Amino acid sequence: MHGRPRKPLKPEDSAASIAKANKLRTLQSQFYHIHHNKIYDKEALDMSAKLLEMNPEIYTAWNYRKLGVESNLQSLSDPDSIKSLLDEELRVVESALRQNYKSYGAWHHRKWVLSKGYSSIEREFRLLDQFLKADSRNFNGWNYLRFVAALQHVSEEEELKFTTDKINANFSNYSAWHNRSVLLSHLLNRKAQGFVPREKVLSEEYELVHQALFTDPDDQSGWFYHLWLLDQTVNQDTTLLISSWPVHAVEGVNSSTVTVTSMLEKNENLIWKPLSTNKSERSTEMINWKDENFVTSDALLQDFTPTLHRFNQLTINKDHESTNSKWHVETLENEIALFRELLSEVNCKIAKLTLARLLMSLDVIMSSRAICKQRTHTKEVLELFNDLIKMDPVHSRYYKDQHSLLLMEQVTSDEESLAKHFWYYKELTSSLSRTNFCLRINKLSLSRIGFLERLLWIQMLDLSHNELQSIEGLESLQLLIYLNLSHNRISCFTALEPLRLIKSLRSLDISYNEIGMHSIDTTS
Amino acid sequence: MECGNYSMKKRLSITQQEQVHVEQKVFEIFKILDGVSPHTQSLMLEIWRDKHIEFLTRGLRGLAPSYSVLDANRPWLCYWILHSLALLGVPIDSEFENNVVDFLGRCQDANGGYGGGPGQLPHLATTYAAVNSLITLGSQRALSSINRDKMHKFLVQRKDSSGAFRMHDAGEIDVRACYTAISVASVLNILDSELVQGLGNYIISCQTYEGGIAGEPGSEAHGGYTFCGLATMILINEAHRLDLPGLIDWVAFRQGVECGFQGRTNKLVDGCYSFWQGDVLALVQRLSSIVQEQLKLAHVREAQNPAKACYVETHNSTKGDSDPCGSSHQAGELSDIGQSFLEGQAEWGPLLNSIALQQYILLCSQINTTKHMSSSLGLGSFGIQPCSVGPT
Repeated sequence: MHGRPRKPLKPEDSAASIAKANKLRTLQSQFYHIHHNKIYDKEALDMSAKLLEMNPEIYTAWNYRKLGVESNLQSLSDPDSIKSLLDEELRVVESALRQNYKSYGAWHHRKWVLSKGYSSIEREFRLLDQFLKADSRNFNGWNYLRFVAALQHVSEEEELKFTTDKINANFSNYSAWHNRSVLLSHLLNRKAQGFVPREKVLSEEYELVHQALFTDPDDQSGWFYHLWLLDQTVNQDTTLLISSWPVHAVEGVNSSTVTVTSMLEKNENLIWKPLSTNKSERSTEMINWKDENFVTSDALLQDFTPTLHRFNQLTINKDHESTNSKWHVETLENEIALFRELLSEVNCKIAKLTLARLLMSLDVIMSSRAICKQRTHTKEVLELFNDLIKMDPVHSRYYKDQHSLLLMEQVTSDEESLAKHFWYYKELTSSLSRTNFCLRINKLSLSRIGFLERLLWIQMLDLSHNELQSIEGLESLQLLIYLNLSHNRISCFTALEPLRLIKSLRSLDISYNEIGMHSIDTTS
Repeated sequence: MECGNYSMKKRLSITQQEQVHVEQKVFEIFKILDGVSPHTQSLMLEIWRDKHIEFLTRGLRGLAPSYSVLDANRPWLCYWILHSLALLGVPIDSEFENNVVDFLGRCQDANGGYGGGPGQLPHLATTYAAVNSLITLGSQRALSSINRDKMHKFLVQRKDSSGAFRMHDAGEIDVRACYTAISVASVLNILDSELVQGLGNYIISCQTYEGGIAGEPGSEAHGGYTFCGLATMILINEAHRLDLPGLIDWVAFRQGVECGFQGRTNKLVDGCYSFWQGDVLALVQRLSSIVQEQLKLAHVREAQNPAKACYVETHNSTKGDSDPCGSSHQAGELSDIGQSFLEGQAEWGPLLNSIALQQYILLCSQINTTKHMSSSLGLGSFGIQPCSVGPT
């Protein structure tokens, strides 16, 4: 059976196994006889019970028993005999479950019996307690528990208590945590008594999960529940900044051609703010990307600044801030402090990843509320990702991508940091047009690019000497004319697909990449 | 809340003990690999084709008594064996083929569908297995033995008002049933709007906050059901209605330090999930445009939602018309979705660590003494893992 240890068969076991198979064969042929002839007397039913106890997977036999019960119920009218008939079914299911506690057919039959409404629900809870002790992750059991609780109209509050007991007994019991999350979702959403205010309940849950996390930081169960808690902590009321386009340069983009769909209830209030750009002049196509051709100058930058209108200059008006945002920020800060403490004692992968994500989201919230413009935790997060790359090589590409994205965020965050990467390309011809301003983001080991919505005005971009395997998102740079992707790790032409959508592109350097180096991936 | 608690001696829970135990066994094996010459390494990392073929063909003739628990699942045995042999490139001789077609013919119910054995009630899972066995054989005889009209009626009878399907008459409802029904309908070209009605809504209700998909609403995300759920949505052209970034995130992180996949959070690695979880990522390779659209909107919400990409409802205008509650589709159109999906380009490379997974399968699932694959390290199953071979 799946998941059970396989031990070599001893001779006596081997003989027993053959005997069992023979018995099964006999029972089966007898069974088909009674089933096809619709025989439902006691002897027949007993025989089907024996069969199911030996092999609960014979779903046809469960159906037979249902038919038998229906047939025999027709001749009964007093509740007691009905109840004892159905109790017999429950007894058969129980024996079958001891043979294989994961049998779909057995659990389903039990649900069918219970739905008739004559059986003791107390007993079901006791039975479940046993089964879930034997295997706390038995999802058939958990599904059945939810079914019975609904039948009983057991209050969600009581069910919640059940999960608390299970969790206190064993923090690793992920199924208990999971059930808890389902119950709490309902209780919070309908603002049940004792579960308001939401923030108080969530704060208590945080305390509960902290105990689990600190007891066993490497155990995934607590972390997943923590993830759910963070999800619940989410504030859905703030204004969202969606995106920006240079309105004259990208044709056809305006409020009548673009629709924004979102899950939020309030979908209106979409404000369009026009950006201005000036048309650029086309100059020569050949670009010599060598370092000596680039110079930097503050004076030049100031000249260009009026046309820069970046994403994060739009900040949320204080009036629109919603009331529990303060709790939101405080909770995040608490969690961050706690995980820093945990990590000072133990080197735990999930903790690091969670901490990194928390720091990033705190930064985003702070900067969107103009509390502080710069992201303050970038350095710490970058270090965390570097650690993770070493600790968890299986997912290193993911961590590297996150690391790269953060670097890109840093680069594009404001005028000051952009200025460091903003160079003027000296041309052999004398015209000083804006085309010659180049953004150079090199030697940062970038494995992917992001935050391009802040760079929509870019016409010349140098991403050489990185580790890019993909340039997803680059197609949003609709004003791009010159692009340098040399000395990267692009391995196939399909990775260059985004370039097809950049109609303005006139010069491209993709030398020193890895196109054609790897044999064809047969899974694609 | 004192963190000093942690500095006290750590008592491992049973879950933790088992995890540590498996990790140790796996790392021992990987250590051996590290210590040998490249030539030996390459020998160690081979699939024992001949041994597997021998094991499988023996199985096709007869199975040991311990397999009696699978008596209600005999078409599965046909499928696992035939499919594995096909993947290994072994031709089936006509005698075997005739035997299989005859046998499955006797499992076919007069009113449509296939049961676990002759005389058994028709069941969606065994139907899936039988149909795919016959398709693997591929001969005129094998294919024409399937009664498509009756099959359609059988599938319609399994349809439930929730939009989902029941595994058999008066049987349980879950995401497996949805997949087996739709997959069979699609491949047999009998998929219509009656079968598809409301199905997307049911499967969406099974996607959990974790990102994966559960067997039924309220249950935990689970690798097997995640595959079934995603595959079904693809076949009915509603994959865009799932939170794909969340799904990918959950599945990708189910690949652990052992290099194989676990089926659910905090459970042990198991070879069978190489298929269930691995294949989800293989399918996703062809959904990149939808995922990217969802990510663009998710990026903005990331500020609000620290740890996962948001759940986004997007309009899909790229892959043709999708009309979740539609009733205007012709049978032919719907059945073509699967085919055109497969013919499309995989726009991304693998989203799992493919080499690591192969290493796990070849070194930890492939067992020498009994010459077949075990589902989990030292833990047994009936030993056939045709699916592990597939996606890598």
